[in-house]
Formats: sequence, C-alpha cells, structure tokens
Amino acid sequence: MEPKQQYEWHVGSSTNRPITAIIVGMAGSGKTTLMQRLNAYVHAQKYPSYLINLDPAVATIPYTANIDIRDSIKYKQVMKTYSLGPNGGILTSLNLFATRFDQVMKFVEKRAPQLQYIFLDTPGQIEVFNWSASGTIITDSFATIYPTVYVYVVDTPRSLNPQTFMSNMLYATSLFYKTKLPIILVFTKTDIVKHDFAVEWMTKHEAFEEASKVNDTYMGTFTQSMSLVMGEFYENFTCVGVSSMTGEGMDKLFEALQKAALEYEKGYKVELEERKAELIKQEEKRQKEQIEKFKKEMHIEVNTTSPMNVIGQTIEPAQDQDMEEEDEENLFNEEEEQEHFQDFMRTINSKKT
Amino acid sequence: NWMGRYAQLIMGPAGAGKSTFCEIMEKHCVSLKRPIHIVNLDPAAENFSYTVSIDIKNLITIDDVMEEMNYGPNGALVYCMEYLVSNMDWLKEELGHYEDDYLIFDLPGQIELYSHIPVMNKVVNLLKDLGFNLCCVYLLDAHFMSDNNKFLSGALQALSAMIHLETPHVNVITKMDLLPPGSDESEFFEKYFEADVPLILAEMYKPKESKWDRLTTLLAQVIQEYNMVNFYPLNPSDEESVNMVLMNIDHAMQYGEDEEPKEPKDENDFLNENQNENND
Repeated sequence: MEPKQQYEWHVGSSTNRPITAIIVGMAGSGKTTLMQRLNAYVHAQKYPSYLINLDPAVATIPYTANIDIRDSIKYKQVMKTYSLGPNGGILTSLNLFATRFDQVMKFVEKRAPQLQYIFLDTPGQIEVFNWSASGTIITDSFATIYPTVYVYVVDTPRSLNPQTFMSNMLYATSLFYKTKLPIILVFTKTDIVKHDFAVEWMTKHEAFEEASKVNDTYMGTFTQSMSLVMGEFYENFTCVGVSSMTGEGMDKLFEALQKAALEYEKGYKVELEERKAELIKQEEKRQKEQIEKFKKEMHIEVNTTSPMNVIGQTIEPAQDQDMEEEDEENLFNEEEEQEHFQDFMRTINSKKT
Repeated sequence: NWMGRYAQLIMGPAGAGKSTFCEIMEKHCVSLKRPIHIVNLDPAAENFSYTVSIDIKNLITIDDVMEEMNYGPNGALVYCMEYLVSNMDWLKEELGHYEDDYLIFDLPGQIELYSHIPVMNKVVNLLKDLGFNLCCVYLLDAHFMSDNNKFLSGALQALSAMIHLETPHVNVITKMDLLPPGSDESEFFEKYFEADVPLILAEMYKPKESKWDRLTTLLAQVIQEYNMVNFYPLNPSDEESVNMVLMNIDHAMQYGEDEEPKEPKDENDFLNENQNENND
C-alpha cells in the first residue's frame, strides 16, 4: 500500500480537522509579514482559514485576524494596572488570555468543520510563548484536537552568520523536544538572500565547517562536533525558503504543512491516543491549577484600577468576509458570551476582596 | 596594583530567577566579606530585590524609548542595548568606582539579544576589553529537570545562547527548593547533575519515526563533549549549595588566583592590563 501522501480534509463534516500552524521565531525574523503573505495566499487559493493573533504588544497587523488578543486585552493598560514592565506586561496579557482560552476554542470548534487551516501569530519575543505556561496551554489546546505544526521562522540574511544559524537550529530542536510536534523551518526574506547556503550547510558538513572557520576559532571546534548533527537537522525538519514580499515558495510551504500534518498523525497523535485518558485528566488538572495561579497572581498585583478596564468586553472574532453565508450572530451568541465574561469578572473580583 | 577584574554575567530566560540569584549571591558574598556589586543591564527591570550599584536605567530606560520613539517592546529593548554599546564610556566610568570589587551583571533575558541580534556579544566583548575575567552563569528553572525531553531542550537552549559569547560558563538550576515534595533528590542528582547521558537517552521520548533516534544520540554526544551537562543545583535555603555554585563560578573565571603574580595568558591580556593601568 502506498503511504498516504496528502493530508485529507473532510470539509463540511464534523470530523474535519484543520491543520493548525503556530508561527514562532525570534523577534524580527518576519513572523508577522509571513502571516500577511499566508493570509493573501489562502484567499487567492480559496483555502478556508482562520487567523489568530496572540501578540498583545504589536502596534498594527497587516492582515485581518479572526481573533485578536488585542481586542480583549489592552497591553498598555495591563502594564499600568499591574505595575509591570514591558515583558511582564506581555506575559501577563497572554496569561489573562489563557484563562479564557476555552472561549477561543469554542469559536474555533464551531468553525472547524469549514476550515482547512488555522494560523497562530505569536508574541514577538520567542520565549514569551514557547517557555510560558500560557503558551503551553494554548499549544496543547490545539494539539490535542487538530494536527498542529510549528512553523519556525528563520531570518535568512541574518543566518548567513553561522553562529546565528546554529542558534536557530538548536532553538528549533529544543522546541521539538519540548513540544514533540512536527516543525517546519521557514527561511524568510529569500528575495534578499536565497536560502540555498543553509541547505548546503545542512547537507554538506564540510561546507558548514568551512564557513564557521572563517568566523572564529571557538566555533571551529564546536562545529567539528555539530557538523555531523547538521545532516540530522535536515533529515528531521522540513526546510522551505519563502519570500513574504514576492510570495515565492508559498506552494512549497503549503506542501510542507500537509506533510507535517501527516507526521503529526503518525507521531504525536498516536502517542496522544495511547495516553489519552491519563493525559486529558492530567492536563485538565494542570490547566485548572495554572489558571487559578494566574488569577491569584493577578489579584495580588492589582493596584487601584479594576481589571475591568484592562480586559475588553469579550473575546470576539472579527467579521469574516469569506464566510458571509454564515450568520455570525448565531455562531457567536453574544448574550451567552456576556454571561461567561461576567462570570469570569466575578471570579477575579471575588479574589480581590 | 592590578588585581584583575572579575564579573559574573547572569543570563537565562525570563522567570528563571535572575534577580533572585543576584540577591542570593549578594547575601552570600556579604557573609564571606567579599566586596560585591551588582550591575543591572536590563533596561526593563523593576523592583530590585538586591542593592543596585550601577543601573542602565540611569543611562536609558525602555519606557522612555517606547514612549518617545514610539517603539514596541522588542524594538525598544534592542535600541537600549545598542545605545549602551555606543555609550560604553558611561559604563566604563561607572565601573571605575568598583575597580577592585567582584561584580555581578544582571542581564536581560530575551534570547534574541544573544543569538539573533549581535548586541550582547558586543557588550561582553567590551567588558573583556576592559580587562574583565568573565563567567556566564546560565540559569534554568528546576522544572527543566522534570523530564528528559525538557532536560535536553533546556540544555540546547542554553547552548544556543552561549555559543555566541565565548566566555567560560556555568549552568545553574534554580528553584531547587521549589521541587514538588516527594521528588527524589538523590535520583535527580545522579541523573542530571552527574549527567548520566545513556540513562537520559534510554528514557528519552522518541516519536514513532526512528530518524529522531540518531539526532538525539548525536546531540547528547555534543552536549556531553561541551560540558553542557555540568548543571549545578541551587537551593537558596541551603548555604552549602549556594557556596558550591559560587565556587564553581569562581573556578571557571579563575578567581582567587591573584595572590600569586598573575601570568598574562596571552598578548591581548597583557595589552589590556597595561591599558587599564595607564588609564588609572
């Protein structure tokens, strides 16, 4: 039997599972412009998709997000209310959002039968998402239901520096060991520098050794050890070069997404099924504890302003031009939402007294 | 009377306990009667739990940059660090007050500053030029030791940040006192602190595809070769563990070897020392 080559959707059916891509990368690597290109591409190809922005501190996003953390969490207000610095502000905003992520998942689940892709844009600083409890809650919320893939964005021109390149590779690998989810390396800005050199470094270890020696001696000895590992990176990660400016490479990226979704089904999902009962129980308990902890922490740090000012009314998806046939109001019952929110506020306020 | 200058550089992701580490070191050095001063180089840091001797915020603050330049938090942070690099005279002058003291630098936690944008290595190189013997202290939260995957993941993360700085380094596992009750500390020690790599590998999660096996094996070898597995546990409530950590850091930067006349290691060191003497 031929192995399955293409991911199968069941659009229109309740068994349909959209591919979820979580876009991560170092600040400045081009996550948000990639999102813009992805948005343009799925519109052109008519792939029904859902876009979620999780960066509370971004000033503007060049695409329309179906769900935007900034609609419900005011980052600057969070900083003021809880007397936090910029980093604490981003983290706390994400925590606040995570306490209500079950709501987001409800919206997503209602929409899922119609969708082929879900894209998540993450906060600028990579660790805020990857190493925080709320980032884990959000990732797991998707990964336990949908084929979920990490898209690790690598700045191609900066990676001409072998150390930066190696850092990125190690970081991506570290991400894999933590999440166990498939990872696609997307080399961006290929209109400025082609990513061919990166592929060459990964496939011919002499090439990488040569490049590093030019730079300095310490790296030279380090790469002696790492050069053999490089080939394994290439074996294990799918590498795609993309220009968000011109759109070059997007077809390959979507092929890679499907391939990674199949990988998810063979790897993560099997593992998940095996441990499902135990996992779900553990996970629910852990999430609940974590969320309680967030709420508690936020209460302690509350100064004078009520968090009511910090959080907007509800988490609401933006109007979606693509799905005109659906009645938005029916899908997202505002009254019910309002009740959920009041509930949430009561919990927070009761902690206050 | 050149005594050599010594400094710890405290790194690690947000929440790893960098400020707490500085506080613990400060208390411990006071009890050892070792003159110690802490330098904050994180322009976004607030509410210090230790005595700040030099504070980058006297030069520039992230809030000012965000407000006046209308930058986001990332851009502002990078701007601040670049600003520090181009105003090293400020730092040089500030450091002049603590010529003979042992310094601890509390650094920002964003990994981007180390591996994506070459700004932290500029700062570190300037400190080297000022004649400092440095030791990077990379902090990881004890929860990274909770399973094998996280261990490897944390080790790679530390390695990723550190290959840029080219200074001696020590890895410290913080918050050992917060381990869940019942965790077997002796098992912990054997496995992670003495780096039983074959055991870690044997227990390692493997996806269904065997191609990961080779990557895991190779990475573990690299980690072992590069002494990445030298993690030292820090339990703030245990004086002995604090002392062990300090001793290991001192050893890495060859602190305390000044009692005897110090042989310059190479020409550069010699030049630096001369330069510094001339400056004095």
